[in-house]
Amino acid sequence: MARAYVSTVIDAPVARVWEKVRDFNALPRWLPLVRESRIENGEPSDRVGCVRDFRLQNGDRLREQLLGLSDYDYFCTYSILESPMPLTNYLATLRLTPITDGDRCFAEWTAEFDCAPEAADELVTNIGQNVFLAGFLALKRQMAS
Amino acid sequence: MPHVVKSTVIDAPVEAVWGVLRDFNGHDKWHPPVAESHVERGWASDRVGCVRRFRLRDGAELRERLLTLSDADLAYSYCLLETPIPLFNYVAHVRLAPVTDGDRTYWRWESRFDTPVGREAELVGMVGEEIYQGGFDAIRAYLAKGAG
Repeated sequence: MARAYVSTVIDAPVARVWEKVRDFNALPRWLPLVRESRIENGEPSDRVGCVRDFRLQNGDRLREQLLGLSDYDYFCTYSILESPMPLTNYLATLRLTPITDGDRCFAEWTAEFDCAPEAADELVTNIGQNVFLAGFLALKRQMAS
Repeated sequence: MPHVVKSTVIDAPVEAVWGVLRDFNGHDKWHPPVAESHVERGWASDRVGCVRRFRLRDGAELRERLLTLSDADLAYSYCLLETPIPLFNYVAHVRLAPVTDGDRTYWRWESRFDTPVGREAELVGMVGEEIYQGGFDAIRAYLAKGAG
């Protein structure tokens, strides 16, 4: 099992950041890599079990299912149903935690998945840096503006 | 039951902060209110179940038992056994996490406890500010000195 983990500090109150990321259909509004997204069957995006069908800027298509969402603990867990990436059993969690010393927020994004051993390093780097870290940096820019 | 949660970011790699914090018998090296610490019965300080006895600068003594220690999760928890301060059923949790963006450390310190009626605010303030926030500042100063 491969694991990608990225964390950062976002200089904004946790509730403000959560407002942005809790919407499972909102990736195009903050993750630069994502061009468009919709929730299948017209379900609300905070209904656990809903599926987002989204396209990246390069045309790749992914479907992901919301498995857990907590407005109390500020986390969102989801799995990949379909993607062009050579991996299976992909489970990811995006979690925010308040930092009381400064009213900031600690953001963690973790993914675990199975893949061929020779593909692991590239997938971990791609997911960790190009998706998770890039997303956090975009959030930081948006919170600052 | 009051719940105190304090958290901060330390500008040092998580290995360095954990290296200091995981020693359940090491608070006298860095936390200003603690004058002296030893572990009872000569147990190693990373033996789960061990009891540390603190003498504070004001002369008070307290005993705490290590309930959890995890090098995998960078976490430990402990409870108060005896204290002159009226904190009952006190269980505290310390957890570190790496901030990969910048090689820093996220540190969360929290506890739940009972207090005599009417003293909640005072004791929540004491635990949160003097012990936890004071501890954050003390570790910062300790690591800045090149210790640990």
